[in-house]
Amino acid sequence: MSQMSRWIAAAMVLAAVAPAAADEAVRFDENETAMILRHGPWPQPPVRDPSNRVSGNPAAIALGRALFFERRLSPGGVVSCAHCHAASRSWTDARAQAAGIGELVRNTPSLWNVGRNRWFGWDGGSDSLWSFAIRPILHPAEMGADAGHVALSLRADRQLACLYEGAFGLPGNRSPANDERVLVNAAKALAAYVETFVSGRTPFDDFRDALERGDAASAARYPLEAQRGLKIFAGRGNCAMCHFGPNFSNGEFHDTGIPFFVKGGVDPGRHAGIQRLGADRFNLLGNYNDDRSGDSATKTRHVDAQHRNFGEFKTPSLRNVELSAPYMHNGRFATLREVVLHYSEIRADRLHSDGEALLKPLKLSPREADDLVAFLRSLTDPQAEQTALALSGIPNRCAGSTSR
Amino acid sequence: MPRLLSALLLAGACMPALAAELPIFDAHIHYSHDAWESVPPKEAIAILRKAGVKRALVSSSNDEGTQNLYAEAPDIIVPELRPYRSRSEIGTWARDETVIQYLEQRLAKYRFVAIGEFHLYGADADLPVPRRMVELAKQYGLMLHAHSDVDALERLFRQWPEARILWAHSGFEQPAKVREMLRKHRNLWSDLAFRSDHGGGGEVAPEWREAFVEFPDRFLVGTDSFTPERWHYIGEHARWSRAWLADLPKDLAEKIGWKNGEAAIFEPFSKRR
Repeated sequence: MSQMSRWIAAAMVLAAVAPAAADEAVRFDENETAMILRHGPWPQPPVRDPSNRVSGNPAAIALGRALFFERRLSPGGVVSCAHCHAASRSWTDARAQAAGIGELVRNTPSLWNVGRNRWFGWDGGSDSLWSFAIRPILHPAEMGADAGHVALSLRADRQLACLYEGAFGLPGNRSPANDERVLVNAAKALAAYVETFVSGRTPFDDFRDALERGDAASAARYPLEAQRGLKIFAGRGNCAMCHFGPNFSNGEFHDTGIPFFVKGGVDPGRHAGIQRLGADRFNLLGNYNDDRSGDSATKTRHVDAQHRNFGEFKTPSLRNVELSAPYMHNGRFATLREVVLHYSEIRADRLHSDGEALLKPLKLSPREADDLVAFLRSLTDPQAEQTALALSGIPNRCAGSTSR
Repeated sequence: MPRLLSALLLAGACMPALAAELPIFDAHIHYSHDAWESVPPKEAIAILRKAGVKRALVSSSNDEGTQNLYAEAPDIIVPELRPYRSRSEIGTWARDETVIQYLEQRLAKYRFVAIGEFHLYGADADLPVPRRMVELAKQYGLMLHAHSDVDALERLFRQWPEARILWAHSGFEQPAKVREMLRKHRNLWSDLAFRSDHGGGGEVAPEWREAFVEFPDRFLVGTDSFTPERWHYIGEHARWSRAWLADLPKDLAEKIGWKNGEAAIFEPFSKRR
């Protein structure tokens, strides 16, 4: 049986299993079924970053876990990565806009499945997860550190020094070059740890797999309102065109009609991100890329800012989206329903007529809006909180001996 | 040696200065209703001056925005009349007969150099409202600023063969098609707004270079401030434009950067004062 035939059969099975009154039966056509199946299977194979030689390395993951919660990485011991990316809050902070040492203008993105990204940050200003980890450490309004401070913190603490040595060997004598290498290694350890933030299966995944198997009984357990929302998502809503694939993101950048004024000007989003990336000494074109093939840097070599990039922000993953309110790049919407209503009534006149052609006002009825929200909630991993807490557990004491 | 050093210093001093000081005629600016509060006229004009914009062809939804800017800086602003009272009329204006009265009233009251930028595609160009708009342009001797496909452009020229048309975004067409249209219609100019394919990375794409060389007097640059936030992109757009224009011979760069706008748009307007 060809793949297409399987999809058609699956769609027929699903249509047959819709159990309630006839007016509530959800029927997915061939295209919708194909689109739904492309959002899995889940979980995907683990991510390994070729630009990070310690990606997947247990010793580096242990160091990364220690550093993630280490407030001494910021001068004065004020904030750690976990200050904004709290395990108890789905790796975010529940604030509209983040606050580290100072106030910021963007919403803290959740870190679930972040290792699957192609570009990192709302503006894609980083081309690797490890360089993305350097940015908040050095940003004056986030952690406000520098390479010297990070290297000193690592050297000064016996436990951290031991973990570092286990992952990378001795850090070498203090010098600007060595300190910068320690900073980059710390960021690579953080990236190795954050790559383990993989969310678990969701009710949607069970439905999707049942659909693929043609398992009507299992498919019927997926709530009808979520099925109706999924039909909008994969069909006339065009949501799946950008929230695409197993991680529900195409990894690219779009103008979705969200105003982007900030105090004193605008947040240029992707346009400034590309320019910042080009100027970043830690980008994949630099000396710290561990991928000797050079393949990982191809995207960075060729990316060039376009006019349309001004005011574009990255398509976020929707896995566990229910747990990461508020929403959009600037936390403009407090609830998923507000997000859905934005797309329902989107002001097409805020979009360039030759730009985001997919975005049209959906004009959803109240029930349709509820259904779409129900579908989005079905992307929640019921074990997410326990998984996050387990990932944030106290790291093992360093078993190795440091030569210090 | 001192002479060589002086020459090098002179060259070093002049080259960046030339690039930095190239004036810009921005042929695609909007100042619509939702921009007036967030970017008040004084701030808007300050943005233009800071960007080195010598002149700006401005249209607004509605026209009040253009008039407010023109009152603030008549030395920079060149007004054109958009057939929209709000930007949401982009897709409906061609079938909305009330647009005609709006155009007639504004044309009777204020001076303009053009009608546009309007969005018009295919056979819609032959609908009664666009036809009347063309008649009004003819009556007042105005340019048309058309965000149109080739079909609509041809229909506009059929209605008024002597029309002077500024083709917004060069129709988002490939350079070969743009050249074909420029060859066919000697009263057609092309703006390059909201497209990046001709000058990415500070280099002029070869196929576009051929177009610019063949038609040095027919291309103009423009930002397209279609949302209020885009006013904060005008400076960056001017910088970006100067970067790729520096990849052309100086006289050609000056024409595309500002002289074509002066000749095709500002001079006709100044004669109407």
